[in-house]
Amino acid sequence: MPEMRTTIIGSLLALAVAGAATARAEEVLRFATWDTGESLAIQQAIAKKFEEKHPGVKVQVEPYAEGYDQKLVAAFGAGNPPDVMYMWNFPQYYTSLKPLDELIARDSAEIKPDDFPEGLMNTTRIEGKTYGMPSGFTTQVVFYNKEMFAKAGVEEPKEGWTWDDLRAKAGKFRDEAGKVYGFAVDAKPDPYDFEQFLWSNGTKYISDDGKEIDGYMNSDAAAAVLGMFADMAKKEEAVTLHLGDETGGDTLFQGGKIAMFQSAMWDKADIDAAGFSYGVAPLPTFGDRPAHSALGVSAISIAKDAAHPDLAWEFVKFFSSPDSVAMRVNDLPVRKSVAEAKGMTKDPVYKPFFDILATSNTERHAYLKNANWGKIQDNLARAIEATMIDQGNAKAHLDDAVKRSKRLLK
Amino acid sequence: MDMAAHAGPKVEVVRRRRANAGRHLAPFLFISPWILGFLFFTLGPLCFSLTMSFFDWPVVGERTFVGLDNYRSMFMEDPQFRESLWITVKFAAIYVPFNIVMSFLLALLLHHATFASGFFRTVFYLPSVISGVALVTIWSWIYSREYGLLNFMLSLVGIDGPNWLGDPSLALVAIIVASLWGLGGTMLILLTGLKAIPKELYEAATVSGVPAWAQMLFITLPMLGPMLIFTFITSIISAFQQLTIALLLTKGGPLGSTYFFAMYIYDNAFKYFDMGYAAAGSWVMFAIVLTLSLVVMRWSAAWVYYEGEVRPVDGDRDA
Repeated sequence: MPEMRTTIIGSLLALAVAGAATARAEEVLRFATWDTGESLAIQQAIAKKFEEKHPGVKVQVEPYAEGYDQKLVAAFGAGNPPDVMYMWNFPQYYTSLKPLDELIARDSAEIKPDDFPEGLMNTTRIEGKTYGMPSGFTTQVVFYNKEMFAKAGVEEPKEGWTWDDLRAKAGKFRDEAGKVYGFAVDAKPDPYDFEQFLWSNGTKYISDDGKEIDGYMNSDAAAAVLGMFADMAKKEEAVTLHLGDETGGDTLFQGGKIAMFQSAMWDKADIDAAGFSYGVAPLPTFGDRPAHSALGVSAISIAKDAAHPDLAWEFVKFFSSPDSVAMRVNDLPVRKSVAEAKGMTKDPVYKPFFDILATSNTERHAYLKNANWGKIQDNLARAIEATMIDQGNAKAHLDDAVKRSKRLLK
Repeated sequence: MDMAAHAGPKVEVVRRRRANAGRHLAPFLFISPWILGFLFFTLGPLCFSLTMSFFDWPVVGERTFVGLDNYRSMFMEDPQFRESLWITVKFAAIYVPFNIVMSFLLALLLHHATFASGFFRTVFYLPSVISGVALVTIWSWIYSREYGLLNFMLSLVGIDGPNWLGDPSLALVAIIVASLWGLGGTMLILLTGLKAIPKELYEAATVSGVPAWAQMLFITLPMLGPMLIFTFITSIISAFQQLTIALLLTKGGPLGSTYFFAMYIYDNAFKYFDMGYAAAGSWVMFAIVLTLSLVVMRWSAAWVYYEGEVRPVDGDRDA
């Protein structure tokens, strides 16, 4: 037995020595991202450039991909978070993130905070403090298939069009044999994006103090919006997505099965690849009210307990520099100067994305207002789905969602 | 070992004692990988989760002790808790009997098959080998409303197939059928049990003119008792833990009609990051499964006989 003990101790020692030998010879900055593919490659290229500017520093890009939240939570829970990370769910994480206001103020000449649209900055703020720098964003638009419009002899959408206009156009594309529809409504939309329709119709999910949903989420204005989508499905102006069938609107639009498709920047690359000529229209309005868009904003943040806080801030600044912003072509540029320099604010394809940004800074997304929003949102999602299955009864289903969510408001 | 040779009887005794100790230690060393794994990865987390269930435990941020509050709000306030539990009970009530009866019938079929029983055994067992995700992908193709295999077959006989996964009244049935596809494991256990029944019993019965149905009732079923009870309990456990198929096939929908209790726990933990609440849910599930298992065991004691078990014969049953 003594020999065995010696062997065990010996191997443990050997392991320890080996571990020490591989310890870092340089400073390693950990950067977690949810992106994959092309977007990840761009971020890696930015990291490379940062390494060139900072000899002796290695940026370890950690692509968590699908299970991003789970992995990030586990890392925080284990007290071993990445230094810098992609972030959107600020209410969930802000207590573990470093407030950036002082740093932004200190380096404002370099950062030029005014170059970032206010609406984007709002999504990274909790209780008046800034916890992240926007890195990319998208607003919502309506893509339309120009070839289908020409063939059906339907006039293309124009700025200032209303939902009534959209419905009238959509009805003209229905072809039962070819399974073609004018538009698509989603039975399981992301409630985050769906709130834009409530805003556009003069209401919202939850009061600004985050304490009341009765009279908001189930208001007549909200029920009118949801009821309209259900009615579009009923009248076959639109196909209903995600009712026991996972085929997405993107697939249908690319395949020429729907003439109009409400979506965002994330579908543009695939639509480009589909190879037909398309146009981009702004979100329709409800009557005379201006349309509001949901803001899909990704940001990068620094962990409060980052191993390399100073280096992390250097990286965040570098990642937010005009050059880096310009490199991230899969996102819309978060700097006004970059968007203008690229001519995107005038380009007919990109213009609607930027135009609506200007009118979408007056409302805050519900998840920023109440810590329990995630659970409330699931009740809401069920009400939307129930309405789409019934093709009606919006008000009753929304009332039910409010009733089920009451206990979560405390 | 040279030293010991020179060192006289005292050292010799010590050495022998050490060797003895080693001999006692050795078996434990051999099973230590399992023991350590069990302690650190099963028992440890198990106890830890009980502690967590008394806390408001958000993973990121402050943890606060809340006593039994997680359990209280689960039972008193959370409609989702009751609904998901009810769905799971419905699922188990249908799945468990079907799983056992169908496995038993298949095992019986294979046991009596005169040809290609090896081939069919493999075929029946095959679905159990496929990993959950692949299995779900296959079933999503089968159930798809527009392009699904099932509705295509129905269309051949002139039936306009329903929206299997999109209709709240059908989705649970669809999940039960998909789950039953993996009954190969249960079937195999029962088949082994059938093979282990001594042929002499049947021969004696046949000679005495006992009809086939009575042989089934008085020989096969009692002899298979321990196996049946084992599969019964494991089926209950797996029914209550049902997660993968529902999570991937329907995501709990439509309208929460396939929102199982395990998914409720999963969502609390990994969607809302409410670890304490999720841990409390896990312990409720544990308590339910434990109670059911105990009930089944107690109830089965009346009719399951284990090999070599001797029981006092009461009354004049043999007369």
